[in-house]
Amino acid sequence: MRIDAGLLGKSVIVTGGSRGIGRAIVELFADEGSDVTFFYRDNAKAADEVVQAATATSRKVASEKVDVRDASACAAAVERVANRCGRIDILVNNAGIIRDNQLAALEDDDVRSVLETNVGGVFNMARAVVPHMIVQRAGKIINLSSVSGEKGGRGQTNYAASKGAINAFTRALAVELAPRKITVNAVAPGVIETEMSQDVRDAAGDVVLSKILLRRFGSPEDVACAVWFLASDYANYVTGEVLHVDGGFKME
Amino acid sequence: MANDAITKEEILAVYPKVAETMADALGCDIEDIKLDVSLIEGLDAESIDFLDMVFRLERAFKIKIPRGKIVENARGDLPESEFEQKGIVTEKGLVQLKSYLSEIPDSRFKTPMKVADIPRLFTPETFCKLVVRAQREAQATA
Repeated sequence: MRIDAGLLGKSVIVTGGSRGIGRAIVELFADEGSDVTFFYRDNAKAADEVVQAATATSRKVASEKVDVRDASACAAAVERVANRCGRIDILVNNAGIIRDNQLAALEDDDVRSVLETNVGGVFNMARAVVPHMIVQRAGKIINLSSVSGEKGGRGQTNYAASKGAINAFTRALAVELAPRKITVNAVAPGVIETEMSQDVRDAAGDVVLSKILLRRFGSPEDVACAVWFLASDYANYVTGEVLHVDGGFKME
Repeated sequence: MANDAITKEEILAVYPKVAETMADALGCDIEDIKLDVSLIEGLDAESIDFLDMVFRLERAFKIKIPRGKIVENARGDLPESEFEQKGIVTEKGLVQLKSYLSEIPDSRFKTPMKVADIPRLFTPETFCKLVVRAQREAQATA
Protein backbone atom coordinates (compact mmCIF):
# COMPACT_ATOMS: atom_id res chain seq x y z
CA MET A 1 0.00 0.00 0.00
CA ARG A 2 1.33 3.41 -0.93
CA ILE A 3 -0.44 6.55 0.23
CA ASP A 4 0.20 10.06 -1.00
CA ALA A 5 0.81 12.32 2.01
CA GLY A 6 -1.62 14.76 0.40
CA LEU A 7 0.27 17.92 1.29
CA LEU A 8 0.97 19.19 -2.22
CA GLY A 9 -0.79 22.53 -2.78
CA LYS A 10 -2.31 22.59 0.71
CA SER A 11 -2.72 25.97 2.36
CA VAL A 12 -0.86 25.84 5.69
CA ILE A 13 -0.54 28.40 8.49
CA VAL A 14 2.25 28.00 11.05
CA THR A 15 2.49 30.40 14.00
CA GLY A 16 5.90 31.24 15.41
CA GLY A 17 7.53 30.16 12.17
CA SER A 18 10.65 32.26 11.97
CA ARG A 19 12.86 30.22 14.29
CA GLY A 20 13.40 26.89 15.99
CA ILE A 21 10.76 24.19 15.66
CA GLY A 22 8.41 26.51 13.76
CA ARG A 23 10.98 27.17 11.08
CA ALA A 24 11.66 23.44 10.65
CA ILE A 25 7.90 22.89 10.24
CA VAL A 26 7.63 25.69 7.67
CA GLU A 27 10.53 24.27 5.67
CA LEU A 28 9.24 20.71 5.74
CA PHE A 29 5.78 21.71 4.49
CA ALA A 30 7.32 23.95 1.84
CA ASP A 31 9.46 21.00 0.68
CA GLU A 32 6.25 18.98 0.36
CA GLY A 33 4.85 21.58 -2.04
CA SER A 34 2.41 23.17 0.40
CA ASP A 35 1.58 26.86 0.24
CA VAL A 36 2.87 27.98 3.64
CA THR A 37 2.20 31.22 5.50
CA PHE A 38 3.95 31.61 8.81
CA PHE A 39 3.25 34.20 11.47
CA TYR A 40 6.01 35.81 13.52
CA ARG A 41 5.87 38.32 16.34
CA ASP A 42 8.89 40.57 16.12
CA ASN A 43 11.95 39.02 14.52
CA ALA A 44 11.51 40.41 11.01
CA LYS A 45 15.11 39.61 10.07
CA ALA A 46 14.74 35.92 10.87
CA ALA A 47 11.36 35.86 9.09
CA ASP A 48 12.83 37.42 5.95
CA GLU A 49 15.58 34.84 5.94
CA VAL A 50 13.07 32.00 5.99
CA VAL A 51 11.04 33.54 3.17
CA GLN A 52 14.09 34.31 1.05
CA ALA A 53 15.62 30.86 1.51
CA ALA A 54 12.34 29.29 0.43
CA THR A 55 11.63 31.53 -2.54
CA ALA A 56 15.22 31.11 -3.77
CA THR A 57 14.38 27.44 -4.25
CA SER A 58 10.90 28.06 -5.73
CA ARG A 59 9.04 27.04 -2.60
CA LYS A 60 5.86 28.85 -1.59
CA VAL A 61 6.43 30.57 1.75
CA ALA A 62 4.98 33.89 2.92
CA SER A 63 5.14 35.61 6.29
CA GLU A 64 2.80 37.81 8.31
CA LYS A 65 3.77 39.86 11.36
CA VAL A 66 1.09 38.83 13.87
CA ASP A 67 1.07 38.76 17.66
CA VAL A 68 -1.06 35.69 18.44
CA ARG A 69 -2.20 37.32 21.69
CA ASP A 70 -4.21 39.76 19.56
CA ALA A 71 -7.45 38.04 18.48
CA SER A 72 -8.42 40.62 15.88
CA ALA A 73 -4.93 40.61 14.36
CA CYS A 74 -5.14 36.80 14.08
CA ALA A 75 -8.57 37.00 12.46
CA ALA A 76 -7.46 39.65 9.96
CA ALA A 77 -4.30 37.77 9.00
CA VAL A 78 -6.21 34.50 8.59
CA GLU A 79 -8.69 36.28 6.28
CA ARG A 80 -5.79 37.57 4.18
CA VAL A 81 -4.42 34.04 3.84
CA ALA A 82 -7.88 32.67 3.00
CA ASN A 83 -8.40 35.33 0.35
CA ARG A 84 -5.02 34.67 -1.19
CA CYS A 85 -5.09 30.85 -1.08
CA GLY A 86 -8.85 30.32 -1.38
CA ARG A 87 -8.94 28.02 1.67
CA ILE A 88 -7.10 27.00 4.82
CA ASP A 89 -6.27 23.32 5.07
CA ILE A 90 -3.84 23.07 7.97
CA LEU A 91 -3.16 25.16 11.06
CA VAL A 92 -0.05 24.52 13.15
CA ASN A 93 -0.23 26.38 16.45
CA ASN A 94 3.44 26.52 17.28
CA ALA A 95 4.00 30.00 18.76
CA GLY A 96 4.97 29.77 22.39
CA ILE A 97 7.19 31.37 25.00
CA ILE A 98 8.88 30.23 28.16
CA ARG A 99 9.43 32.20 31.40
CA ASP A 100 10.77 29.61 33.83
CA ASN A 101 11.08 30.38 37.52
CA GLN A 102 10.02 28.91 40.83
CA LEU A 103 6.40 29.74 41.51
CA ALA A 104 7.09 32.09 44.42
CA ALA A 105 9.47 34.10 42.26
CA LEU A 106 7.18 34.47 39.25
CA GLU A 107 6.10 38.01 38.40
CA ASP A 108 2.53 38.69 37.29
CA ASP A 109 3.75 39.20 33.75
CA ASP A 110 5.59 35.85 33.74
CA VAL A 111 2.28 34.12 34.35
CA ARG A 112 0.12 36.31 32.15
CA SER A 113 2.36 36.47 29.11
CA VAL A 114 2.97 32.70 29.02
CA LEU A 115 -0.75 31.91 29.29
CA GLU A 116 -1.81 34.64 26.87
CA THR A 117 0.69 33.57 24.23
CA ASN A 118 0.66 29.80 24.60
CA VAL A 119 -3.02 29.26 25.37
CA GLY A 120 -4.67 32.51 24.25
CA GLY A 121 -2.81 32.32 20.95
CA VAL A 122 -4.13 28.82 20.28
CA PHE A 123 -7.69 30.00 20.97
CA ASN A 124 -7.32 33.09 18.80
CA MET A 125 -5.93 31.17 15.86
CA ALA A 126 -8.37 28.28 16.11
CA ARG A 127 -11.33 30.68 16.33
CA ALA A 128 -10.14 32.43 13.19
CA VAL A 129 -9.50 29.27 11.19
CA VAL A 130 -12.30 26.93 12.27
CA PRO A 131 -15.11 28.73 10.38
CA HIS A 132 -13.21 28.12 7.14
CA MET A 133 -12.61 24.47 7.98
CA ILE A 134 -16.24 23.90 8.98
CA VAL A 135 -17.46 25.24 5.64
CA GLN A 136 -14.78 23.24 3.79
CA ARG A 137 -15.73 20.09 5.75
CA ALA A 138 -12.05 19.37 6.04
CA GLY A 139 -9.02 20.57 7.93
CA LYS A 140 -6.27 19.61 10.29
CA ILE A 141 -5.19 21.47 13.40
CA ILE A 142 -1.95 20.57 15.14
CA ASN A 143 -1.04 22.20 18.44
CA LEU A 144 2.48 22.23 19.83
CA SER A 145 2.32 21.02 23.40
CA SER A 146 5.27 19.87 25.53
CA VAL A 147 6.46 17.07 27.75
CA SER A 148 5.89 19.63 30.53
CA GLY A 149 2.14 19.42 29.94
CA GLU A 150 2.03 15.97 31.51
CA LYS A 151 5.18 15.55 33.55
CA GLY A 152 6.31 17.81 36.36
CA GLY A 153 9.34 20.00 35.85
CA ARG A 154 10.83 22.44 38.36
CA GLY A 155 10.28 26.13 37.65
CA GLN A 156 7.70 25.46 34.96
CA THR A 157 4.29 25.93 36.59
CA ASN A 158 3.31 28.65 34.11
CA TYR A 159 4.63 26.82 31.06
CA ALA A 160 3.35 23.42 32.24
CA ALA A 161 -0.11 24.85 32.91
CA SER A 162 -0.19 26.35 29.44
CA LYS A 163 0.79 23.09 27.78
CA GLY A 164 -1.59 21.00 29.90
CA ALA A 165 -4.30 23.41 28.77
CA ILE A 166 -3.32 22.80 25.16
CA ASN A 167 -3.70 19.04 25.63
CA ALA A 168 -7.18 19.49 27.11
CA PHE A 169 -8.08 22.00 24.41
CA THR A 170 -6.95 19.54 21.73
CA ARG A 171 -9.15 16.74 23.02
CA ALA A 172 -12.20 18.98 23.48
CA LEU A 173 -11.92 20.62 20.06
CA ALA A 174 -11.43 17.20 18.44
CA VAL A 175 -14.85 16.20 19.79
CA GLU A 176 -16.44 19.43 18.59
CA LEU A 177 -15.08 19.30 15.06
CA ALA A 178 -15.28 15.58 14.36
CA PRO A 179 -18.71 15.91 12.67
CA ARG A 180 -17.02 18.04 10.01
CA LYS A 181 -14.09 15.60 9.53
CA ILE A 182 -11.66 18.11 10.98
CA THR A 183 -8.94 16.49 13.05
CA VAL A 184 -7.27 18.14 16.04
CA ASN A 185 -4.07 16.73 17.50
CA ALA A 186 -1.05 17.84 19.48
CA VAL A 187 2.65 17.11 19.37
CA ALA A 188 4.46 17.14 22.70
CA PRO A 189 8.19 17.63 22.22
CA GLY A 190 10.74 16.87 24.92
CA VAL A 191 14.00 18.82 25.10
CA ILE A 192 14.72 20.06 21.59
CA GLU A 193 17.87 21.85 20.45
CA THR A 194 16.48 25.36 20.03
CA GLU A 195 17.24 28.80 21.45
CA MET A 196 14.25 28.39 23.76
CA SER A 197 15.67 25.37 25.55
CA GLN A 198 19.25 26.67 25.66
CA ASP A 199 19.06 27.68 29.33
CA VAL A 200 17.71 24.30 30.41
CA ARG A 201 20.38 22.46 28.44
CA ASP A 202 23.13 24.71 29.80
CA ALA A 203 21.99 24.39 33.40
CA ALA A 204 21.15 20.70 33.59
CA GLY A 205 22.07 19.14 30.26
CA ASP A 206 23.78 16.03 31.63
CA VAL A 207 21.06 15.30 34.16
CA VAL A 208 18.39 15.74 31.52
CA LEU A 209 20.25 13.60 28.99
CA SER A 210 20.54 10.78 31.50
CA LYS A 211 16.74 10.67 31.64
CA ILE A 212 16.24 10.52 27.88
CA LEU A 213 16.11 6.90 26.74
CA LEU A 214 17.56 7.72 23.32
CA ARG A 215 20.42 9.68 24.99
CA ARG A 216 20.21 12.75 22.79
CA PHE A 217 18.26 15.96 22.59
CA GLY A 218 15.70 16.19 19.82
CA SER A 219 16.15 18.26 16.71
CA PRO A 220 13.54 20.69 15.36
CA GLU A 221 13.25 18.32 12.39
CA ASP A 222 12.30 15.43 14.71
CA VAL A 223 9.31 17.48 15.82
CA ALA A 224 8.49 18.74 12.33
CA CYS A 225 8.23 15.13 11.12
CA ALA A 226 5.60 14.37 13.76
CA VAL A 227 3.64 17.48 12.74
CA TRP A 228 3.98 16.43 9.10
CA PHE A 229 2.53 13.01 9.95
CA LEU A 230 -0.50 14.45 11.76
CA ALA A 231 -1.12 16.90 8.90
CA SER A 232 -0.76 14.23 6.23
CA ASP A 233 -3.32 11.83 4.85
CA TYR A 234 -1.50 9.09 6.79
CA ALA A 235 -3.18 10.44 9.91
CA ASN A 236 -6.71 10.84 8.57
CA TYR A 237 -8.02 8.50 11.28
CA VAL A 238 -6.15 10.14 14.17
CA THR A 239 -7.84 12.83 16.26
CA GLY A 240 -7.71 14.09 19.85
CA GLU A 241 -4.24 12.62 20.33
CA VAL A 242 -1.11 13.99 21.94
CA LEU A 243 1.90 12.53 20.15
CA HIS A 244 5.03 12.53 22.31
CA VAL A 245 8.29 13.28 20.51
CA ASP A 246 10.73 13.22 23.40
CA GLY A 247 13.12 10.32 22.90
CA GLY A 248 11.53 8.57 25.87
CA PHE A 249 12.04 11.38 28.35
CA LYS A 250 11.42 10.38 31.96
CA MET A 251 10.82 13.26 34.32
CA GLU A 252 9.87 13.15 37.97
CA MET B 1 -35.72 51.00 10.47
CA ALA B 2 -33.42 48.42 12.06
CA ASN B 3 -36.10 47.45 14.58
CA ASP B 4 -39.14 47.62 12.28
CA ALA B 5 -41.02 44.36 11.86
CA ILE B 6 -39.57 42.24 9.10
CA THR B 7 -41.97 41.90 6.20
CA LYS B 8 -42.77 38.73 4.29
CA GLU B 9 -41.39 40.41 1.16
CA GLU B 10 -38.03 40.95 2.84
CA ILE B 11 -37.95 37.31 3.93
CA LEU B 12 -38.87 36.00 0.50
CA ALA B 13 -36.26 38.22 -1.10
CA VAL B 14 -33.43 36.47 0.75
CA TYR B 15 -35.03 33.02 0.99
CA PRO B 16 -33.76 31.45 -2.26
CA LYS B 17 -30.15 32.13 -1.38
CA VAL B 18 -30.71 31.12 2.27
CA ALA B 19 -32.26 27.83 1.16
CA GLU B 20 -29.38 27.12 -1.21
CA THR B 21 -26.85 27.91 1.54
CA MET B 22 -28.67 25.68 4.02
CA ALA B 23 -28.82 22.77 1.60
CA ASP B 24 -25.03 23.10 1.16
CA ALA B 25 -24.43 23.24 4.92
CA LEU B 26 -26.71 20.31 5.69
CA GLY B 27 -25.74 18.27 2.66
CA CYS B 28 -29.39 17.80 1.69
CA ASP B 29 -31.46 18.48 -1.42
CA ILE B 30 -32.75 22.01 -1.79
CA GLU B 31 -36.23 20.53 -2.23
CA ASP B 32 -36.07 19.35 1.41
CA ILE B 33 -35.73 22.93 2.63
CA LYS B 34 -39.06 24.58 3.38
CA LEU B 35 -39.51 27.99 4.95
CA ASP B 36 -41.17 26.53 8.03
CA VAL B 37 -39.46 23.17 8.55
CA SER B 38 -37.76 22.65 11.93
CA LEU B 39 -34.04 22.48 11.22
CA ILE B 40 -33.31 20.05 14.04
CA GLU B 41 -36.38 17.83 13.95
CA GLY B 42 -37.12 18.05 10.24
CA LEU B 43 -33.64 18.23 8.74
CA ASP B 44 -31.50 16.57 11.45
CA ALA B 45 -29.36 19.68 11.92
CA GLU B 46 -26.78 19.52 14.74
CA SER B 47 -25.27 22.44 16.63
CA ILE B 48 -22.23 22.56 14.35
CA ASP B 49 -24.60 22.85 11.38
CA PHE B 50 -25.98 26.09 12.81
CA LEU B 51 -22.45 27.52 12.90
CA ASP B 52 -21.83 26.23 9.39
CA MET B 53 -24.98 27.98 8.17
CA VAL B 54 -24.01 31.23 9.86
CA PHE B 55 -20.53 31.15 8.27
CA ARG B 56 -21.96 30.38 4.83
CA LEU B 57 -24.67 33.05 5.12
CA GLU B 58 -22.03 35.61 6.10
CA ARG B 59 -20.13 34.81 2.93
CA ALA B 60 -23.14 34.56 0.67
CA PHE B 61 -24.64 37.86 1.80
CA LYS B 62 -21.41 39.62 2.80
CA ILE B 63 -22.80 40.34 6.25
CA LYS B 64 -21.70 39.77 9.85
CA ILE B 65 -23.90 37.66 12.10
CA PRO B 66 -22.84 37.70 15.76
CA ARG B 67 -21.31 34.29 16.46
CA GLY B 68 -23.07 32.01 18.89
CA LYS B 69 -25.58 34.71 19.70
CA ILE B 70 -28.66 33.38 17.98
CA VAL B 71 -30.36 32.43 21.23
CA GLU B 72 -29.19 35.64 22.96
CA ASN B 73 -30.73 37.64 20.11
CA ALA B 74 -34.05 36.00 20.84
CA ARG B 75 -33.93 37.53 24.33
CA GLY B 76 -34.05 41.03 22.88
CA ASP B 77 -33.72 43.75 25.52
CA LEU B 78 -34.88 41.47 28.32
CA PRO B 79 -32.21 40.83 30.98
CA GLU B 80 -31.18 37.17 31.24
CA SER B 81 -32.64 36.88 34.77
CA GLU B 82 -36.07 37.97 33.46
CA PHE B 83 -35.87 35.80 30.34
CA GLU B 84 -35.05 32.56 32.07
CA GLN B 85 -34.82 30.97 35.50
CA LYS B 86 -32.69 27.86 35.98
CA GLY B 87 -32.72 27.07 32.28
CA ILE B 88 -36.51 27.48 31.89
CA VAL B 89 -37.95 30.39 29.89
CA THR B 90 -40.13 32.61 32.12
CA GLU B 91 -43.65 33.72 31.13
CA LYS B 92 -42.28 37.13 30.22
CA GLY B 93 -39.48 35.42 28.31
CA LEU B 94 -41.94 33.29 26.40
CA VAL B 95 -43.83 36.40 25.25
CA GLN B 96 -40.54 37.88 24.03
CA LEU B 97 -39.50 34.61 22.37
CA LYS B 98 -42.83 34.26 20.57
CA SER B 99 -42.54 37.80 19.32
CA TYR B 100 -38.95 37.20 18.11
CA LEU B 101 -39.93 33.91 16.49
CA SER B 102 -43.27 35.19 15.21
CA GLU B 103 -43.09 32.79 12.28
CA ILE B 104 -43.33 29.75 14.57
CA PRO B 105 -46.87 28.52 15.35
CA ASP B 106 -47.90 28.72 19.01
CA SER B 107 -48.34 24.96 19.21
CA ARG B 108 -44.59 24.41 18.81
CA PHE B 109 -43.71 26.35 21.98
CA LYS B 110 -43.68 23.90 24.87
CA THR B 111 -44.49 24.87 28.44
CA PRO B 112 -42.26 24.72 30.32
CA MET B 113 -39.85 25.75 27.59
CA LYS B 114 -36.18 24.94 28.20
CA VAL B 115 -33.62 27.46 26.96
CA ALA B 116 -31.65 24.53 25.55
CA ASP B 117 -34.65 23.62 23.39
CA ILE B 118 -34.97 27.05 21.74
CA PRO B 119 -32.85 26.00 18.71
CA ARG B 120 -35.38 23.21 18.10
CA LEU B 121 -37.82 25.93 17.07
CA PHE B 122 -35.54 27.40 14.42
CA THR B 123 -36.59 27.17 10.80
CA PRO B 124 -35.10 28.55 7.57
CA GLU B 125 -37.34 31.57 8.12
CA THR B 126 -35.54 32.26 11.42
CA PHE B 127 -32.29 32.47 9.47
CA CYS B 128 -33.88 34.62 6.76
CA LYS B 129 -34.77 37.08 9.50
CA LEU B 130 -31.21 36.95 10.87
CA VAL B 131 -29.96 37.85 7.40
CA VAL B 132 -32.46 40.70 6.97
CA ARG B 133 -31.54 42.10 10.39
CA ALA B 134 -27.83 41.91 9.58
CA GLN B 135 -28.44 43.60 6.22
CA ARG B 136 -30.37 46.40 7.92
CA GLU B 137 -27.63 46.89 10.50
CA ALA B 138 -24.99 46.99 7.76
CA GLN B 139 -27.03 49.62 5.92
CA ALA B 140 -27.53 51.63 9.10
CA THR B 141 -23.80 51.75 9.81
CA ALA B 142 -22.76 52.29 6.19
